[in-house]
Amino acid sequence: MQQQEIHQYIKNFFIENESTITEESDGHLFIQLSVEMDKALMNRPFYWHYVEKMGGVPNPMQLNLITDSSKVPEDMKGEKIHFGSPRLHQIFQTAKQLGSHSLLYESVNTNGSTVPLKPWIVLNGAVSYCCDHKKDYFFSIGLSLITGEVIHDFHELIKAKNLQEQIPNYCFTMTPIIRPISGIERIKRLLIEDLEQQDHQWAENARNRQKQDEQLLEAFYEGQEEKGDSYYDEKKAIKSQYEPSINISIINGGLFYFFNHPHHHQGHSFH
Amino acid sequence: MIPKIHFDQEWVDQFENSLENNKGWGNWTKYKMALTAGKQSLVSDFQGLVAPKYLPTLNIYPHQYETAEAVIEKMNGKAILADEVGLGKTIEAGLVLKEYMIRGLVKKVLILVPASLVTQWCRELNEKFYIPAIEQRKNPAWEQIDVTVTSIDTAKREPHASVIKEIDYDFIIIDEAHKLKNKHTKNYQFARSLKKKFCLLLTATPVQNRLSEVFHLISLLKPGHLGDETSFEQKYKEGNDHDQLNQLIQKVMIRNRRSDSGMDWPKRIVQTVPISFSEGEKNLYDLVSEMKHRWSNSVEAQGLAFTTLTLQREACSSREAVFMTLKNLMEQYGENPNVMEELNKIAEQINEVTTNSKAERALSIIQESDEKVIIFTEYRATQLYLQWYLAQNGIRSVPFRGGFKRGKKDWMKQLFRDHAQVLIATEAGGEGINLQFCSKMINYDLPWNPMRIEQRIGRIHRLGQEHDVKIYNFAVKGTVEDHILQLLYKKIGLFEGIIGELDDILEKFSENQFEDHVSKIILDSESEGEIRVKLDNLTSILAR
Repeated sequence: MQQQEIHQYIKNFFIENESTITEESDGHLFIQLSVEMDKALMNRPFYWHYVEKMGGVPNPMQLNLITDSSKVPEDMKGEKIHFGSPRLHQIFQTAKQLGSHSLLYESVNTNGSTVPLKPWIVLNGAVSYCCDHKKDYFFSIGLSLITGEVIHDFHELIKAKNLQEQIPNYCFTMTPIIRPISGIERIKRLLIEDLEQQDHQWAENARNRQKQDEQLLEAFYEGQEEKGDSYYDEKKAIKSQYEPSINISIINGGLFYFFNHPHHHQGHSFH
Repeated sequence: MIPKIHFDQEWVDQFENSLENNKGWGNWTKYKMALTAGKQSLVSDFQGLVAPKYLPTLNIYPHQYETAEAVIEKMNGKAILADEVGLGKTIEAGLVLKEYMIRGLVKKVLILVPASLVTQWCRELNEKFYIPAIEQRKNPAWEQIDVTVTSIDTAKREPHASVIKEIDYDFIIIDEAHKLKNKHTKNYQFARSLKKKFCLLLTATPVQNRLSEVFHLISLLKPGHLGDETSFEQKYKEGNDHDQLNQLIQKVMIRNRRSDSGMDWPKRIVQTVPISFSEGEKNLYDLVSEMKHRWSNSVEAQGLAFTTLTLQREACSSREAVFMTLKNLMEQYGENPNVMEELNKIAEQINEVTTNSKAERALSIIQESDEKVIIFTEYRATQLYLQWYLAQNGIRSVPFRGGFKRGKKDWMKQLFRDHAQVLIATEAGGEGINLQFCSKMINYDLPWNPMRIEQRIGRIHRLGQEHDVKIYNFAVKGTVEDHILQLLYKKIGLFEGIIGELDDILEKFSENQFEDHVSKIILDSESEGEIRVKLDNLTSILAR
C-alpha cells in the first residue's frame, strides 16, 4: 500500500465509522473519534467503564495522523502512519472485525415490477502453506445457493456493484435450495480437493530438512543410553519447526442476493 | 503425502450465529474495507523478506538484509550472528524476528541479553521494529507476555527458571553469547534446557581459543551439527580437517566484517598527545618507580614490586589514583616500619603535586569547540577528580560506570546527550552504551589490552555515526605509558586499523594472557632497553 492509498483508506475508514475529519491536508488527517472508535482504538477501558457507570458525558479523543510528513509543517504533532506502523495495523484489525460477514442485496430499480433476487454464498480467504517457512495465496469463491455453480475470483466480479443492507423495493428473495452452511461446506470441500490434487514438493522439502536435523540430533546423543529430557524436547521442537501443514483461513464472506448473474456486466438496471 | 489441512471453523460458527440471530452484519463498504485489510497481511512467496516493507523508516544496510535473508532461507532460522562490533547485529536479529512474526511463524519470544542492555533492546525492538517487547524485572509474567526481554541472570534464577523451561518458545535470541562457551556453567545449562524452534546467538568474538568452546556454542544452537563431543574432539584436536570444520561452522554462522560491508565508514582520526609532567608529578612518578628495585628481593614485602607497576600507571593518571592505592598499602603494611616510611614519603610527595598535566590538556581539547567529548579513564579516583576539575572550569560532565544500574545508565546517557558536554567513563563503563551522537574521544589513560581500546572506540565509531571520529591518546613522556603507546599501539597500527584484523590478532591471545604478558615484560626487565626489545618482539608476533 502506498502512502496515498493509506491516506485514503484511513479517511474512508473513519468516515465509515461515524468519526469526523475535522482537518485534512495531503499529508495529514485530524480526526474527532466517535465513541465506538475511541473504544476500539484508544485502549482506555477504565475511562469508558467509569463514564458509563457514572453516567458522565463521553468525551472521545482526537487523533492527528500524519500520512506524509514531507507535506506537513515540520513541527506538527501527531502519529506518523505508514505501512507496518502499529496504528495502521490496529485499524486493519478493526476493519476486519467490522466487515467480517455481510448479508447484502443488489440495488436494483425495478420500475415497479416485482423481481426475484438469487442467493450466493461468498468466502474470501487465504490458503497458507506452513512449515519453517510460510506462504499464502488468496481465494475468493462464490457459490450459487440455487444452482450450485461455483465462480472463482468472485470479488473481482462484484466489487463495482452497488449492494445494500435492505431488500430493494419490489424485490423478493428466492429461498436457497442449498442451505448457506452447506454452501460453505461445499466451498471447503472444493478447496481441499484442489489441495489434494496439487504437488506438495515444498512439504517434502520441509520433511527432508526435518529429517536432516533429526539425524544430527541422533548423532549428538549416539551411545547415550539415557537420553534425558533435552533430547525429547529437541526432537519435539524440530518437529514443530518443520512439520508441514496447510491452513485455510477466512478473511470475510457473506450471503449476497443478486438480481443478475454475477457475470452480468455491472451498470445494467432493470429493463 | 498431503500435509494436514486445517479449516477456519471459527469463522463459520460466527457466520452461522449471525444468520440465526440476523445481526452482526457489516455493510458493503465495511465488507470491502475488511477485505482490503485482510489481503495486506498475505505473503505470496516462501522466499525473500517482507519485513522491510513494514519498516519504511528503518535504514537497512545491504549486509543486514542479506544476513537476515540467509538466516531464514539457508539456515532454517538457527544461526550465530557474529558481525564485528558496530555493524548492527541487533538490527539483523530484529529483522529476522520481524519477518517470522509477520509470517505468523513466531509468537512466543524470549530475548536474553546482559542486564545493562535490556532497556536498550526493548526500546530498539519497539521503536525500530514495532515489536511489542516487554522488559521483565521484578514481577515477571513469563507466560502472559509474548515478547520478553530479560537478563540471563534473572531468567536462570528460581522461581523464574522452572516456569521458563516449561514454555515452548518459538524464538530465542541470546546476546553476548560467547559468555556461554563453558558447558559446566549454570548459564550454559540453563540456555541448553530452553525449548525453542528458531534461535539466534549473537556475539562479536565467536572464535575462541579452544575448539571445545565452538563445539558447545554450536551445540546450544543445533545439537549434533558437529557430532557428539567425544568424536568431535578426536576428529579435530590434532588440527586435522580444519577446512571441513570451518565449512561446518559457516553453515550456522554469519560474520560480516567492516572491510567487506561495502559501507562508507566515517574516518578515524587518531592523534597521539604527548604529555609532559610538571616537576611535582615527575618526582612522584620517579619515587614510586624506585620501589620496584628496592623491594624486589625482600621476602617480607615482595608484593610491593608488583604494586610498583600499578602505582606507576596511576601516577600517570592522577595523584588521587595513587592515593587510593597508597591508602590500601598503608593498611596492609601498617606493621612494617620500613615500608611505612617509604609509603609516607610517597604520601608527602603526593601533597607536593599541585597540578594535573593531563587534565589541563584535556580541558584545552574540550574547550576547542562545543562538541561532545567522552573521556575514558581506568581509575575511579581520576574520574571523580576530573569531574570536579571540569566543573571548576565551568564544564558540565556526567560520570559513567559499569556498576550503574540500568536506569541510571540510561539517565546518564540522556543527560550527556541533552545537557552535558562531557561524559567521563571508567573502563567498566565501556560496554553496552551506544553514543554515536558524540564523535570525540580522549583516552586519558591507555588500557594494556588492545581489545578494550576497540570496545571504547566502538561506542562512537558505529553505524549511525555521521562525523569522522577523533581519538586523542594521552601518554606521558618517559613513562610506562610511553612504552605501551609507542611499541604496542603504534606498531600494530591499532587505532587506524579495522577491527577484523584486530580480532585476528587477539585470537592468538586470550584476554588476560595479553595483559599479564605485558606486565611481566615491564616488571622483569632490568633496563628501558630490555623493555623495548621484548615489546618489539611481542609486537612483531602480533603484527604478523
